[in-house]
Amino acid sequence: MSEQRIATSKVAGTWAWFFQRVSAVLLVVFLAIHIYADHFMDLGGETGDEPLITFSDVSIRLDQLFYIVVDYGMLSMVLFHGLNGLRTVMFDFDMFAKRKRLIDVTLWVVGIATLIWGIVILLPFISGSGG
Amino acid sequence: MKLSELKLRNFKWLFGRNSEFWPTNMKTGMWAWVGHRLTGLALVVYVFLHLSFITTASFGEDGADFDSLMEITSQPLFVLMDFILVIVVIYHAMNGFRVILFDMGIGIKRQKLVFWICMAVAAVLVVGGLWAVWDLIFVPSGGA
Repeated sequence: MSEQRIATSKVAGTWAWFFQRVSAVLLVVFLAIHIYADHFMDLGGETGDEPLITFSDVSIRLDQLFYIVVDYGMLSMVLFHGLNGLRTVMFDFDMFAKRKRLIDVTLWVVGIATLIWGIVILLPFISGSGG
Repeated sequence: MKLSELKLRNFKWLFGRNSEFWPTNMKTGMWAWVGHRLTGLALVVYVFLHLSFITTASFGEDGADFDSLMEITSQPLFVLMDFILVIVVIYHAMNGFRVILFDMGIGIKRQKLVFWICMAVAAVLVVGGLWAVWDLIFVPSGGA
């Protein structure tokens, strides 16, 4: 490594800094697909290309493995990026920085619990016949 | 820090008139940084809201509860809020792009210029977003 200094927080650490960048780039890609597929692509569902999103529209989309991977991939990246970002903000405050271990454990628990929540709520769409 | 220390005067160093975060004390880079954090925190809140809305798919026959919620959220007021979300995301993404550039050592010497170029691109994207939602907000629907 050169002597060039990167703006990593000493408390948050280099890996957190690195994966924040990796997840950021992935999120831009996922978000582009997400917005296009949800709001612009004509899925041939009951509502056609109307702006209204329906259960059957989403079910039809999630019949394809690609969109399941996109949705769950985006969910995991957004949770990592969001909670890791929150962690970085918190560690700028002394009251949180000196409770690093507690914050880390809490954020991991919240992240994994939310990931499971997110996985479960998409299942009705995936199992739905989709009209 | 104890709970009893959570008084406004204990945060003068952070938000007071002489602090680096007092609006007139902030320079471009600091505004960008504060904006990045505020939009970031707002987006974390939004993700949980988003998941809450999708949870309705678990209730009602064949996602009936989800469909009626989507019907409500397709109303102009909600689309306007979606557009605000779009602005927040675009700012966060374009400023994040700038942060990554600086991390790679690109453009640091002309950081103010790089910021405004990123914001110009962001503005173009926001106009594109406005174009996409315009009819949904301002043109009364002929019945859905």
